[in-house]
Amino acid sequence: MRKYFNGLHPAASLLLLSLAFAFGCNTKARQAGKPYRIGVTMLSLQSEFVVNVKDAMEKYASNDSVELLIVDAERNADKQVQQVESFIARGVDAIILNPCEVEASSPAVDRARKAGIPVVNVNSETKSTPDAFVGSNDEESAEIAIEHIAKLTGGNGNVLMIEGYIGQAAQIKRTSGAERTLAKHPGLKVLAKQSAEWDRAKAMSLMENWIQVHGDRIDAVFAQNDEMGLGALQALEQAGLKNKVKVVSIDAIRDALGAVKEKRLDATVYQDAQGQGQGAVQAALALIRTGKVEKTQVLIPFQLVTSENVDAYLNRR
Amino acid sequence: MKEANIGKERFYRRYGVLLSFIIIFSVLALTTPGFLSLSNLTTVLRQISINGILAVGVTFVIITGGIDLSLGSTVALAGVTAALFARQGGDALALPLIAGITTGLVVGLVNGLIVTRGKVAPFIVTLGMMTILRGTALVVSDGRPVSNLSNAFNAIGGGDLMGIPIPILVFLAVVVVSHVILDRTVIGRYVYATGGNEKAAYASGVDTDRVKMFVYVICGAFAGLAGIVLASRINTGQPNAGVSFELDAIAAAVIGGTNLSGGIGKVTGTVLGVLIIGIINNGLDLLNVTSYYQQIIKGVIIIGAVLIDRNKR
Repeated sequence: MRKYFNGLHPAASLLLLSLAFAFGCNTKARQAGKPYRIGVTMLSLQSEFVVNVKDAMEKYASNDSVELLIVDAERNADKQVQQVESFIARGVDAIILNPCEVEASSPAVDRARKAGIPVVNVNSETKSTPDAFVGSNDEESAEIAIEHIAKLTGGNGNVLMIEGYIGQAAQIKRTSGAERTLAKHPGLKVLAKQSAEWDRAKAMSLMENWIQVHGDRIDAVFAQNDEMGLGALQALEQAGLKNKVKVVSIDAIRDALGAVKEKRLDATVYQDAQGQGQGAVQAALALIRTGKVEKTQVLIPFQLVTSENVDAYLNRR
Repeated sequence: MKEANIGKERFYRRYGVLLSFIIIFSVLALTTPGFLSLSNLTTVLRQISINGILAVGVTFVIITGGIDLSLGSTVALAGVTAALFARQGGDALALPLIAGITTGLVVGLVNGLIVTRGKVAPFIVTLGMMTILRGTALVVSDGRPVSNLSNAFNAIGGGDLMGIPIPILVFLAVVVVSHVILDRTVIGRYVYATGGNEKAAYASGVDTDRVKMFVYVICGAFAGLAGIVLASRINTGQPNAGVSFELDAIAAAVIGGTNLSGGIGKVTGTVLGVLIIGIINNGLDLLNVTSYYQQIIKGVIIIGAVLIDRNKR
C-alpha cells in the first residue's frame, strides 16, 4: 500500500485512503442477487426515533428481495434534494423520503415523480403529493397527551408546554393539536410555553427557570418529545416538586419507557416506528410490483403508554 | 497625556465588561420578578458552569491566536465515552471520569499536533475535527443516548457539596487553576507572548509550538470535563449534545475582552462574559419572551456588550 502512495502529495494520499475507507464501509450494502433497489433518505440519523424507523425498514427489507440504499440528510432539505437526484441518476426502483421540511423537501418529490420513480413519504409530509404516505398524524399525539393530563388533574390546573424546534412540522402540529385540546378543557390554564429545541439539557434549564417563576403553581408539564420531558422531569425531581407535577411527553423512546416503568414519567405517547418503517417499505414494494398502492395514506395510530401497559412496549424493543 | 490614555485604556480593558455585566444585571433585577432570589441565582450558576468550563478553555487557545470549533463535538464524544463506562457498575465513578477527560486530552493533542506539525490553520483543523468527533460519538453510541448511569456519576451534575452544586465547584476550580496558570506562571507568559507576536516570541527562545500544543490540550481536557458534567447533569451520554456549544463559549470569551487576533484576554473577563450570557438566557425565560425574540435579543446584547467594551477604550 505504502509503495503506491510514495511520491503522492500527502493530502492526495489522505483523500485516496478515505475513499478506500468509504468503499470498504459500503460493501455491506452491495449485496448481489437483490432484484429491487430502494433509495432511502432519512431526516437525521442522530435522532433515536428516526434510527428506529430506519432499523425497522432494514429488518423488513432483509426478509424480502430488496436492497435499501440509506442516506442521512442531516436535517438539511437541500442536501436531501441532492440525494434524491443522485438516486434518480443511479436508477433506483423506488424512493422512500423522510422529509426534512414541508416546503423545502418538496422538490425531491417532484423530481422523482417527473423521472417516473415512485416516491413514498414516511413519518412527515411534504407540500407536493407523493405516491403514498405512511406516517402518523402528529396532532393526534398531542391530543392524547393533553387528554391524559386533563384526566390526571381532573380537568383543572396550570400547564407548562415545552415545544420542539420552532417551525418544524412536528412542532407546529403538536402545538396546534395541544392548543385545540386545551380549548376543550377550560379548567386547564397554560402558564407559559417555550421551545427547548427537542433537547434534554435545554429543557432541563428551561424547567429550572420556570420553577423559579411559577414554583408551586405548576400542576402539569406537556413536553413535545421525550428527551425534553425527561429533562423537565429531572429539574422537577431536583427541586422536590415531582410528586405534585404530572409530566407527559411523546415518542416512547427507550429512556422514557424506563421512566414510565419506574413511575417517574406519568405517560408517554408511542409513535410506532416499526409500523412506519415496515409500512413504507411495503408501500414502495407494492408500487414497484403493481404500480399502485391500496391506500395512498396509511395512518399508523399513536398509543398512550402508562405504567399499566408499559411492559408490552418495553418488550417490543 | 499619553500616559493618561494608557491608564484609561487599561481601566476600560479591565472594567468595560464589568460595566456591561452590571448594566444587564440591574435591568434584569429591576424588570424581572424572581430574578434576584438566591435560588434563581444558584440556578443560573449551575446552568452556566458547562459553558463556563468551555469558555475558559477556549480563552487559552484564542490568546495564542488560535480557535477551537470542535468543542461541542468533544463535549458529546467525552460525554458518551464517560457514560459508556458509567453504566457498567453500581457506583462507577473514577473510570468514567478518567475516560471522559482522557477523550478530551486526546482530542486536544490531535488538534495541537495538526496545527503545529501540519501547519494547518486552527480554524480548518478544528472544523474538520468537529465533524469527525460528532461522527465518532454517533458510532460509539450507535446513534442513541447512553443511559442507566451509576448514581455516583449522576451525582456530579445533580449533587452538592456543603450546599453548593458540584458543577459550580468544578467551574470554580477550572477558573482558579486557569487564572493562576495565565497570570502567575512562565507558561502563562509564553501563551501571551505566542499570541502577541509569534515570531518575536520564537526569536527570544519560546518554543511556540509547545505552547500551542499546551493550549489545545488544556482546552480539550476542559471540554472533556464539560462533557462529563453535561452527561451527568442529564443522566445520559447524548451523541447529539453540545451542538454549537463552541459558539457560546467563543462568544463568552470575546464578550469578556479576549481578542480573536491573539495576545489579549483574561480568565476573569471570560467569567464575566459567561455570566452575561447566563443571566440573559435565564432572564428571558423568566420573562417568558418567545423563542423568536430570544434569539434576536441575545445577538443584540452580545454585539452591544462588545461595543461598550471596545468603544470606551
